[in-house]
Amino acid sequence: MQTVAAYIPYPHWLNSGDNTWQLVAATLVGLMSLPGLAVLYGGLVQRKWVVNTMLMAFAGFSMVLIVWVLWAYNMGFSSQTFGLFGAHGTGFFNNLVGKPWPITSHFGEQNQATSLAQTDVPFHFPNATLAYFQVVFAAITPLLFLGSILGRMKFKAWLLFVPLWITFVYAVNAKLLWGGGFFAMKGAVDYSGGYVIHLAAGVTGFVLAWMVGPRLKRDRDHGVPHNLMLVAVGAGILWLGWNGFHGGDPFYAGVDAASAVLNTNLATAAGLLTWMFWDMVGTRQRKPTFLGAINGMICGLVGITPSAGWVDGYGAILVGLICSTIVWVAWNYLSRVRPFSKVDDALGVVYTHGIAGLVGGLLVGFLADPGMVEYIGVGKTPSVVVNGLFYTGSWHQEWEQFLAAVWIICFTAAMTVILATITKLVCRGLREKDAVLEIGDVAIHDEEVYPQETFAERVSAMTSLVDRE
Amino acid sequence: MKLVVAVLKPFKLDDVKEVLKNMGVHGMTLTEAQGFGRQRGHTEVYRGAEYEVDFVPKIRIEIAVDDEQADEVVDAIVGSAATGKIGDGKVWVLPIETIVRVRTGERGTDAL
Repeated sequence: MQTVAAYIPYPHWLNSGDNTWQLVAATLVGLMSLPGLAVLYGGLVQRKWVVNTMLMAFAGFSMVLIVWVLWAYNMGFSSQTFGLFGAHGTGFFNNLVGKPWPITSHFGEQNQATSLAQTDVPFHFPNATLAYFQVVFAAITPLLFLGSILGRMKFKAWLLFVPLWITFVYAVNAKLLWGGGFFAMKGAVDYSGGYVIHLAAGVTGFVLAWMVGPRLKRDRDHGVPHNLMLVAVGAGILWLGWNGFHGGDPFYAGVDAASAVLNTNLATAAGLLTWMFWDMVGTRQRKPTFLGAINGMICGLVGITPSAGWVDGYGAILVGLICSTIVWVAWNYLSRVRPFSKVDDALGVVYTHGIAGLVGGLLVGFLADPGMVEYIGVGKTPSVVVNGLFYTGSWHQEWEQFLAAVWIICFTAAMTVILATITKLVCRGLREKDAVLEIGDVAIHDEEVYPQETFAERVSAMTSLVDRE
Repeated sequence: MKLVVAVLKPFKLDDVKEVLKNMGVHGMTLTEAQGFGRQRGHTEVYRGAEYEVDFVPKIRIEIAVDDEQADEVVDAIVGSAATGKIGDGKVWVLPIETIVRVRTGERGTDAL
């Protein structure tokens, strides 16, 4: 009897290895947010703020997912151009933002992924894979700047600010650098989000912290972390989750994914050790501290983000060393001068993400090794590489990196002011009342992180049950 | 000798401690406590079930002082811990029969 294959599992353009890796990588990145950042931040805040911190993380993540599929994904990654103010061609306004459009239809999810940024090498997976991979990037960004405004921002205001920010800041920056937008066309590069994610998160966190105002004086004076073991859990998930962050960004389970993962870990180890070294020689106590090491770890991770697959192993170690050193100096000394001394950036996001992202983005122009091939050229087509100053002697890449950084800082700061002002008007303020801030979680959520059964007596349901008997 | 015991709002600790230090109180013992008086507790909600939590977080301070100093210490605590709102707490004074400093074996007021 002859058997005819009546079904095939997937279309010819799909490669199961690439699709698998991309979905795994996306999930790893998702884990960086939930539970990674939720428990990292939950461990770093005071006991009375843990529930609020975790819920802001989970709610923010959910907010971004919905906004992303309904309109924001296509604003960043659509293959259709959207001529703002009727602009067309290669000018700024025609390449600023994509057309807001949902991707929730059957073809939106199941067609082969396409993007203006990736026209030469076809994707080997469907749009749903790419959209999910990109959404976990988008979703971690508000969770990063959450670290700046912990312990005083109104919960409702957070729920409004996040979708606004994703729409008007993240989607635009993503389009400009990743979605084939203006800066991408000019040649600026951002491997995995040193600018779009970390620099933008640092700037937003700082500006938002300034607009929301500081935590209560008592909370600042007694701002001791409530559980360092949770910090260890969150930080560990963050580090290893970053393998998906960078390993996924070539979009193929190939050679460059492997080198990006290795480089990421090298830079991170170097960053952690560097910060610890400076703590041991450069502080009054001269002691290595766990939280210092975690800061250094984050500096390494963030610093290598713009360059993971374009530098070699030497470059990666240098990135970790330089980023960690610069941020350590900023953390200890820049924090004493205005405006840094005047703004209550609760967890120091402007340093470990803002400055680290900026330094990492600028280092691409110096350290990118043209021998590191992202996509292999066939025949006369040259391979896709990035040319750093140290290898080619050309300042071109560095100049493009600089221009993109200036844009990210200025645009993100200005838009944050505008969006926070709108949020403030709609929500009648950005911060909770002082009476609420004194109590924290119980006042805002009727929950506390370690409820004690000794003190809690169940009302309604139990009593009525007993009454009926 | 007297033992001054105060149960206060936790966030008032710094103010109270500062005032007592300035008036020359050498030491105190602090315990985190839970309690309620006229101040109402609060409700917590877990998985749809409401819980009444009568007990509110408090700090309990104990200070051993000379007889003459007792009133002054009580006044200082009341003065620095008062917010005027319900739930500010209580201060009470008990007599101490004897005190021994463990390290030296000194007794009575020498051990304060």
